[in-house]
Amino acid sequence: MHSRIYAIIRKETRELIRDPVYLGLALIVPLLLKLLFGYGLIMDVKNIPVLFYDQDHSPLSREYIHSFTNSEYFRNTGMAKNYREIDYAIRSGKVRVVVVIPPDFSRRLHEGKLAQIQFLVDGSFPMRAEVVKGYVAAINAQFNQIMVTNYLTSRGQTAATVFPISVEGRAWYNPSLESKNFIIPGLLVTTLMFYPALLAALVVVREKESGTIFNIYCSPVKPWEVVAGKAIPYIGVAFIDYVFIFLMSVMLFKVKFIGSFLLLTMGALLYIACTIGIGLLISIISRTQIAAMLITFLGTMVPAFLYSGFMSPITSQDVTGQIVSRFIPATYFMGMVRGIYLKGLGFDYYLWDLITLTIYASIVYGIAIFSFRKRTG
Amino acid sequence: MWKRMLSLTRKEFSQILRDKALLFILAWAFTGAIYTAGHGMSMEVERFPTVIYDIDKGPLSRELVSRFRMPYFKVLAYLHREEEITQWLDSGKASMAVVIPPDFQRKVSGNTEAKIQVITDGTISMSATIAIAYVAQIASSYSIEVLEKQGMVTRSTFENLPLIDERLRVEFNPNILSSWFTSLLELLNMFTMVSLLLTAAAMVREKEYGTLEQLLASPLRPGEIFMAKIIPTIIIVLSLSFLSIFLVLKPAFGVPIRGSLFLFYSIAAIYVFTMSSLGIAIAVVARNLAQAMMIMLLILAPMLFLSGAWTPPEAMAPWMQWASHISPMRYFIDFGYSVLFKGNGIAYVWQDIVGIMLMGILLFGFSRWWFGRTISK
Repeated sequence: MHSRIYAIIRKETRELIRDPVYLGLALIVPLLLKLLFGYGLIMDVKNIPVLFYDQDHSPLSREYIHSFTNSEYFRNTGMAKNYREIDYAIRSGKVRVVVVIPPDFSRRLHEGKLAQIQFLVDGSFPMRAEVVKGYVAAINAQFNQIMVTNYLTSRGQTAATVFPISVEGRAWYNPSLESKNFIIPGLLVTTLMFYPALLAALVVVREKESGTIFNIYCSPVKPWEVVAGKAIPYIGVAFIDYVFIFLMSVMLFKVKFIGSFLLLTMGALLYIACTIGIGLLISIISRTQIAAMLITFLGTMVPAFLYSGFMSPITSQDVTGQIVSRFIPATYFMGMVRGIYLKGLGFDYYLWDLITLTIYASIVYGIAIFSFRKRTG
Repeated sequence: MWKRMLSLTRKEFSQILRDKALLFILAWAFTGAIYTAGHGMSMEVERFPTVIYDIDKGPLSRELVSRFRMPYFKVLAYLHREEEITQWLDSGKASMAVVIPPDFQRKVSGNTEAKIQVITDGTISMSATIAIAYVAQIASSYSIEVLEKQGMVTRSTFENLPLIDERLRVEFNPNILSSWFTSLLELLNMFTMVSLLLTAAAMVREKEYGTLEQLLASPLRPGEIFMAKIIPTIIIVLSLSFLSIFLVLKPAFGVPIRGSLFLFYSIAAIYVFTMSSLGIAIAVVARNLAQAMMIMLLILAPMLFLSGAWTPPEAMAPWMQWASHISPMRYFIDFGYSVLFKGNGIAYVWQDIVGIMLMGILLFGFSRWWFGRTISK
């Protein structure tokens, strides 16, 4: 019995080694992905191109424009002369914000009245539109404060009212709220969700297409031995990937890591077993490689990024999202990884996550073994 | 020549149509996957798990506490000891703790500044930042109410001051709905992914089966073999994307389709040709589907980042901006949003069209050259 599993493992390993291009890619691709995601995912919104339409042409309106151009968040792209130019600029996406200053801007302010300013924000990318809105509000608030203080002091009054309640925000575990401490550990989870699944997705279905699966059908080997024999070499490859990714996160991206590597590795092994298992399961139930590949791409990549809590916490999801998130292993590993990296908590905090991952793995492999029936035709 | 190509195209078609699992996953890609993506990606923070440690317990602080409400905050517990904060945050059950100091009532009624402390879980830095901003809003609106009650300010105070009245309009997406953005983005991503994967797999399969030799022995020329693989992809992707627009985007999310569908579909057909050519190019280089899959992963990931959807072009480093010009996806994302979402005509997107066409010709040419150099010899 043991020799049968061993034989399958040896066969799969040899197949891996004899395709050095694939093995090389299998080891290098996740590192390159990590590099790309780590450096490429620029969430900061800076250098937003802004266009002004100054109908007032007064020193005050120029001062107001300066408050935008002086900030690192906005980049001046020039002055519009009419509404047609504005329309073209915002439609073509060449600018993201247009500021329209009305002709009576400085007159009204000097008289101590409200002055309207019109802002047009490009809403095609909602995330950026939200941030732009925030920046605009901040610049206006600052400008308003200066205006009011000047106005009141010029009339011999003082701007007395302070807001009675202020908020002091503090972030534990990641005091400066650095986004890399948040993104890089999260990427470890998402990458190890879709990547091992892709590695394993073709392993069985490939043999179905080429017909070598009949060798297995005709042999005395049992379904669970096939599944285990095929899973183990790929778990090995994915585990090496995990070690590389971890080292990169700490040494290259310099993410804070105060937890126990041993605990993280335990979790990672279980997690990789789950995701390899998902790939194998897809491979067993598919009839063609092309279908297996598409199912894995769609079934693991999208949920890994959207429903694992990578970007926004699961509590913010609606009911559908919360249900989906319960069905993917990434959800259970995400909290654990972030906790071990940044909170440095011990074993007892994550016992439940480890148990859940174990149960998850047993269910996946159970279904996989059950679906692997020896059949002809 | 046409007849030869047509019969091979027909064979490709029936090969796809006979694979029920493949058809199902393709249909899912253009409906269910887009639906879940439109639903899943919300940047808003909702039901943020919060605990409150009110040391003061006065009427003013209780009133403030009552402002922490759904849908933004879900108050899980009222604490009595400071150590409890650590427990809640460590375990990850709560992501935010609000601490109201013992002198809150006295300071607020005594017209001095009272500080409430907000402790957030920095491991989810993005949501933490947003949550603190929400708390600041609550505090300032409550402050104004308190001031009004104390008679320090009245509504008319604001009308007789030189202030800026911000009139902000968000173009194309007035309510900043992220579902409009993500569902459309997912549709454009599916164009990219499915065209690439489907064509590459169809081409590699001939290599794996050894049927490529048969095709070479036939009077078919390489270009005709390629076109026979590309045409079914174009037809399938275009017809399925109709489903996405009329079954998902419009009815489920109410995404406005403002532009000309005719323009969109004519260029989309060319784009599918371009991405399929990329798939062919990968397939002529790779030896089996597993290799091809790795190469595709390696090409897709940077394309996603350079597409301009996640990292805006203006935030990219110069070398990234330059590199984005060789990615057909960048042109297509720009084109898709411009035409479908903003309702722009050809005058705005002709550069994208040229880019898509050029890349298509280049990739197709490369495949023929490489194929002629290596395989058909």
